[in-house]
This record gives sequence, structure tokens and C-alpha cells, in this order.
Amino acid sequence: MSNAAVAGEVSTGAAPASGLSEDWLAVWVGLLVFVLALVGIAGPNLLGWVVSTSVWTDVSGALGTTSKNYAGLGGIGALLATYIALLVVLSLGAVALKANVKRFALTFTVVFAISYASWVAGNYAHFAAVTQTDFKKFGIDWSLRLTNEGGFIFALLVGLVISNFFPRFADWLKEAIRPELYIKIAIVILGAFIAVTVAGKLSLARSVSLRGVAAIIEAYLIYWSVVYFVARKWFGFNREWAAPLASGISICGVAAAIATGGAIRSRPTVPILVSSLVVIFAVVEVLILPFLAQTYLSHEPLVAAAWIGLAVKTDGAAVAAGGITEALILAKAAGEGIQYQPGWILGTTAAVKVFIDVFIGIWAFILAYVWTNHINVQNGGDKARVGEIWQRFPKFIIGFVLTFAIAFYAASTATPEALAKITPAIGVANTFRVIFFILTFFSIGVLSNFRALWREGLGKLVAVYIVSLFGFVVWVGLLVSWIFFSGVKPPLAN
Amino acid sequence: MSEQDLRGELRNAAVEPLLPIEKKLIGWSLSIGVVLLVVLVIANRYYPIPA
Repeated sequence: MSNAAVAGEVSTGAAPASGLSEDWLAVWVGLLVFVLALVGIAGPNLLGWVVSTSVWTDVSGALGTTSKNYAGLGGIGALLATYIALLVVLSLGAVALKANVKRFALTFTVVFAISYASWVAGNYAHFAAVTQTDFKKFGIDWSLRLTNEGGFIFALLVGLVISNFFPRFADWLKEAIRPELYIKIAIVILGAFIAVTVAGKLSLARSVSLRGVAAIIEAYLIYWSVVYFVARKWFGFNREWAAPLASGISICGVAAAIATGGAIRSRPTVPILVSSLVVIFAVVEVLILPFLAQTYLSHEPLVAAAWIGLAVKTDGAAVAAGGITEALILAKAAGEGIQYQPGWILGTTAAVKVFIDVFIGIWAFILAYVWTNHINVQNGGDKARVGEIWQRFPKFIIGFVLTFAIAFYAASTATPEALAKITPAIGVANTFRVIFFILTFFSIGVLSNFRALWREGLGKLVAVYIVSLFGFVVWVGLLVSWIFFSGVKPPLAN
Repeated sequence: MSEQDLRGELRNAAVEPLLPIEKKLIGWSLSIGVVLLVVLVIANRYYPIPA
């Protein structure tokens, strides 16, 4: 992987030379979806035309509209309407980002088409059906039981094939390969969905949130120091490489590696290469950990949720892996006659990740202070500034908090009649969240060129990553998740 | 940085011994982290998540 290619591939959400940052764009797009969904509470369902996908044996019946009011559009009509709406909004976003809009529109069209086709393929009954009731309904006698969210894995695998076997095509697509943007929009929308899920279960929700504090301590104080020590002492990396590597493995991947690189004033290439490694390992984790969680932790759903949030790096991969884990565990529980309320596993994973994200700026400031005052001391040189905390604060979290707070207030104070309107309205917004997840999975796959990484000769970096992640981070994450969440179950569905 | 440069840099980088400030950073982070986790574990025991 050439450095230039990596630099282009790793989308960090950092502000470009001029124009809006991806973080702020995510806030505005997420809020737009949220507000349009809220209008549906008062009257017209403005988003009911968005496409939804059902598990299918006959593909002609796979697609439909989210609201019956728009059923006249048909499945293909809904798909086209969704594509056009996303194309218009995200192209305007590309204008704000000062990206190449024509190229974005063209490549986004291809990205959307391939991503959604992968999602539809993943909803084929032989892949997605889970229960015996499903088997009877679809007239099938076997299934991979991946659930409909297995479609995310399909999107990821198709992206991986493109990246590793058609690298020139992957390179051509890169204007629309923006996993950080897509997942941040999804997280802003997710705030409302989590709020509606936890409203009325305030005590449990507050307790889960407080346990998020443990995740912060674990990621910043324990993981970081151990990984930094391993990289420096056992593998002999210098400080410029060890610090971004420790942040990438310990905190939340790409954003943390980039923030740390800036904090210690490393060359830009260093955190970018570390970021490419983070993305590739996140892919490996997404393909393995949700299935391990389903196999070994299905009776401890919130342990699984917190573990995924702590173990999988990058926001996109972690929250998306939380979605797959939820689908797999809920399906297994349903097979045992237990119907958990959806949203708690995904919500716990997202909460853990958001808690960790909040402190990136502060951690970067601490490292900047140590480096500029004690390690790379320059007379009259560049010193750490308190303003860097805000500069590096992941702004999309503001959108997450806003949608959560508004939806939570609305759901907590609503009459039963009003609540009956709020829940489906937020559900429609959540359909967009799923679409942005699909785009995220595909984009992460397209960024993950295993062959190029091998050619690059990054064996030593890979070794640190493997030793730290699978020898320490995954296990300590499991232990801490077990201590704080074992025995705690999501509420049962009504 | 070309591919060749990068490989060479990673292979031939001079060893930088851990400075006292790095040892302090590692030591304090770990110690504070472990202590805070223990505090949270104790708090978790007395204020468990409602089942």
C-alpha cells in the first residue's frame, strides 16, 4: 500500500484545509434525518418512502417501503427514492467538505449500488433465516442462521474482494469511501433510537452508562500504558511509532492514532500507516468476535456488548459489530424462547464507544504536554495548547447527545398515545441508520488491502498489534466487561 | 516516505531507551487505572446494576 494510497484511504474526520469537517457534516446529516422523522409524530410521515429489506426466497419481494403510506412506490421505487435522497444530501455534504462533487456523486452511486446489493443478498433466507418458524415460513430446510444483519458481513466481504483483487477499482471508488462519515451519521441517528429504547428503564440505563466509566479507565490508563510499553520495550519501536500505535490499539483506532500523531508532532505518515493497520484488524475482529460472542456469551448479552465496544477498534467497526452481535444473540435467545428487547446490546456497545471517544482530546493534550515539555523540548518551540482539547473533540458526539436528549425527553414525558407515535417515527430514522451501517461495512472492506499491507513489510507493526490485541486487550476487555455486566440482562420484549 | 524507506526505517531504527518521563507516564497511568478500576468494582458491588 503506497503511503499516498493509505493517506487517501483513511478517512479521519479531520477538518480539510478549508470547509466543513466530516464530524460536523455527520452532525447536520444525522440531525436532518432525526428532525424529518420527528415531523412524523405530528402529522405526515416524511421519511416513510425509505427502502427496507425483508428476508426473502423470491428477490422480487425483498424490497419495500418503511411506511405502508408509500407502498405505491414499490420496492424498486423505494430503493431509487432512497438513493436519490442520499445522493442529494451527501453531494451537498461533499460541497461543504470541498470534495470533488462530480466524482463523489458518480462513485457514491456505485458504492450505494454494490453495498445495497450485498445487503439484499445477505437477506436471502438460506443465509438469514434463524428460527424453525422462519424455516416453515420460507419453505427451507437449512440456513446459515446469520440473521438479516449478516448482510453487513456480505457488504464487508464484497468490499474486501474489491480491495484485494481489484485495487484499481478500489482506488477509483475512494471519493465515496468514507466509513468514518457514514458511521458518525449512523451514531447521531442511533442516539434517538437508544433514547426511545431506554426510556422507562432509566435505572438500568443510568447504571449501564456509569459502567462506561470503567471502559474509559481501561482504554486510556491500562491498555495504552501496556501497549506503549510492549511496543517500546519488547519490539524496540521508537517513540514516534510507539505512541500512535498504542493509541490505535488501545483507544478508538483511527481517530486516536491521528490525534496522538498530532499531539506528539510525529510525521503525518506514521499515524496514517498505523490507522490502515487498525482498520484491517478491525475487519478481522468484526468477522470473528460477534460469532464468538454468540457462541460463548449469549447468556450474558451485556457482557458481550461491552466486550465488543472495548475490543473492536474504530467507531465504525465497533458499533457495527455491536449490531451484528445483537442480531446473533437475540436470534439465539429467541430459539431458546427468550425474547429480549432489541436495542440494548447495540446501545451498550455504542455507549462504551462514545464514552471512550469523549476523552480523545484530553488524552491527546496530556501526551502533547508530556512530549513538548519533557521529550521533544524546543526553546520557543511548539507547546501543547488547552485549545487542542476542543480541536480534537469528536464533534459528532454533540449530535449523538442532542438526538438522545430530545428523544429521551419526548419519550419519557409522552402520553401512551403519543409514545405510540414516537417509537415508529424514530424507527423510520433507524432505517437510515441501517443504510449508513451498510455503507460503513462496505467502505471498511474497500479500505482493507491485506495484500498491500503484506507487501509494505509492516510485519513488526502487525506483530505488536497481534500480541497486544489478542494477548491482552481482548482478554482484559472480557474480564472487565464480565465484572461489571455479568448477570445483567436486557429487558424482555413486551 | 517510500516503501523501501519505510521498511528500512522499521528494520534499522536506532533503539531509544525508555526515558524516566516515559517510565513515569506508564507507571502512573497503570497505577491510577488499576486503583480506579478497583474503586469501581467496589462501587459496583454495593450499587449493582438492577436486574
